[in-house]
Amino acid sequence: MSEPREGTVVQRRWMTILQKAGTPVISALLAIAVGSIIIWASGYDPLAAFAALFKGSFGSPKAVGDTLLKSTPLILTGLAVAYGFRAGLFNIGAEGQLFMGGLAATAVGLALGATSWWISVPLMLLAAMLAGAAWAFIPALLKARIGAHEVITTMMFTYIGRYFVSYLVNGPMKEPGNIPQTPALDPSAQLPRIATLFSEGAREALPILNLGRAHMGIFVALIAAVVIWLILKYTTLGFENRAVGFNRWASETAGISVQWTTVKALCISGVLAGLAGATEVMGVHHRLFDQFSSGFGFTGIAVALLAKNHPLGVIPAALLFGALSAGATTMQFEAKVPQDIIQIIQALVIFFVAAEEIVLWFVRRRQKEAISHAG
Amino acid sequence: MNAKTSRILALLLALMLVVAFVPGCAAEEEPAEEPAAEEPVAEEPALKAAMVTDVGGLGDKSFNDLAYEGLKRAESELGVEIEVLESAEITDYETNIDSLANAGFSPIFAVGFLMTDTVVKMAPQYPDTLFGGVDEFFETPIPNVVGLNFKEEEGSYLAGVVAGMATVDKFDTRLNDKNVIGFVGGMDTPLIRKFEAGYAAGAKAVNPDVQVIALYTGSFTDQAKGKELGLSLIEQGADVIYAAAGACGTGTIQACQEKGALFIGVDADQYLTVPGSGDVMLTSMMKRVDNAVYMTIESVINDEFAGGTNQVFGLKEGGVELAPYHDFESKVPQAIKDAVQKATDDIVGGTITVPEAP
Repeated sequence: MSEPREGTVVQRRWMTILQKAGTPVISALLAIAVGSIIIWASGYDPLAAFAALFKGSFGSPKAVGDTLLKSTPLILTGLAVAYGFRAGLFNIGAEGQLFMGGLAATAVGLALGATSWWISVPLMLLAAMLAGAAWAFIPALLKARIGAHEVITTMMFTYIGRYFVSYLVNGPMKEPGNIPQTPALDPSAQLPRIATLFSEGAREALPILNLGRAHMGIFVALIAAVVIWLILKYTTLGFENRAVGFNRWASETAGISVQWTTVKALCISGVLAGLAGATEVMGVHHRLFDQFSSGFGFTGIAVALLAKNHPLGVIPAALLFGALSAGATTMQFEAKVPQDIIQIIQALVIFFVAAEEIVLWFVRRRQKEAISHAG
Repeated sequence: MNAKTSRILALLLALMLVVAFVPGCAAEEEPAEEPAAEEPVAEEPALKAAMVTDVGGLGDKSFNDLAYEGLKRAESELGVEIEVLESAEITDYETNIDSLANAGFSPIFAVGFLMTDTVVKMAPQYPDTLFGGVDEFFETPIPNVVGLNFKEEEGSYLAGVVAGMATVDKFDTRLNDKNVIGFVGGMDTPLIRKFEAGYAAGAKAVNPDVQVIALYTGSFTDQAKGKELGLSLIEQGADVIYAAAGACGTGTIQACQEKGALFIGVDADQYLTVPGSGDVMLTSMMKRVDNAVYMTIESVINDEFAGGTNQVFGLKEGGVELAPYHDFESKVPQAIKDAVQKATDDIVGGTITVPEAP
């Protein structure tokens, strides 16, 4: 008797996954369709543009490496924002936490100097996580204790964090010379590129291993996604997080401390954003300077929205944004399409995801009205 | 209404919204396409020169645009084939340089000091490609790389001469008796300090009692902050303000227009790049990135590329200069024009050395 029932359960699971993934996928496709119209209307060849876009993002192992490189910080900031959203909190300040994470990782890395990677890398990542959490802690406390809105406070803390980093790289942490940046990290304090882990022979035998600039940070990001998924699904911490997100009053009544859960949610969000700062510094730039983040904290909001705040959904969402960004340079060069078009497509993706939510909200309201009229 | 119909309705609604919004988008795209759509002139291009912008991109009315000007001039005057790639993120620098080098472009100009690390890394991988780093200084010489730097302090010295003499003059009703001039800097970096140092030195040389107040916005984009600091300087008595603060300067121009003060622009001739600023724009300190780029391309054609060196473009080399006075041409007294000419001669001749730090 168990055979057929299990089949239906599995089927049902697949159906829910498909349903959940439906909107984001349709949104992405619609965005690409409308993007094509815009490219065409601007006087370019959409087919050539998307061919170049694909070539630059997945066309070769090196291109895949670029996509992974650009997706890495987006997975982490996407997770950061998504985790906050699941507790009903809008951590708009992931960017600031990312800056503090990058700063902490750099400070620890420079202090350790040349040592073994198994000492410096974990310590730097840990420092970044703590710094990100600390930077989220004050807004969290303000939210929990006096109800100061986290959108305002985390945003303000982003400014403080960015200017603090700017001050440090222009002052106490500046390397000698005219450029406002810290000295470079020792190779032992860097996240190596994936390709360098394999011998030349292995890379020749298996060209797919030539992943260009993709670095070990992608594994940090993937592990983080799985850990957050497990936390949300299987732990009390995650349950409380979701419960407060659904209904804070009901949670309070059920004996969950909403204040404490708020603090924990924002701090974990900060941990993830801090990690994004660390992987950028350790894997990409190998030093800290003013503009080391291209607004990853803010793009993370879009990634979380596209992923519908599902920690595993964040991975494909970040890959999409990373691929668009990686392909944009090739598209610009080969199809002569200005890369600003990519920002339009990214905006369209968000637009369609949001549009569905808006329409559904209206539909639900009308259904409710219909029910009340019927009653 | 069942769930299926509402879904279809949702999609239709979304599409309608988009259709309504497409023409606007397409129209906005028009200007952006121009640089990319430009086809090289026919006649056998002698050389393929290209540039990679930093994250500011084209349209920054500053060094990216200026470098592109130089490239375009090389295209029309030297028959060079040109290409420009914009970078949206710092990680795009490497990809862009890669694409250009693989396509046989040389020289490739990397614009902005943020690209220094990338050039140091990429140049040895393409030993046959020549690189020019605008605003980049290379500690260790790389044979196929030339650093293109500017003596901003020398041009700023001339701006200081103009401001220092104007503030005690009466050629405009907006000039007061307080003998105070202002400076608005962007991020407080050694580079911007060079502007301040030259400006203050020039002003003090012609007007020893002048008070120079320098304020920094901490940003190159925050126009509101630029305006706020401009207003505050005017409040403190400044009647001529020089801004080396990127787009913040536009805010300072507004402050000058509202409260009645004169303005000195930076990088480009801002009389031309900031429309409607003519009533306050006394002059501009131009950083001739275009000249540096053009001259470097010329040096490649003449087989004189100065690889492995850091070139410094000052007044003498045509790397910095004052823009015309435009609307103030007839108002500015000959004494000021003469003083600027004398200062120029003294700096070029080596009698004056302009300090790099305040």
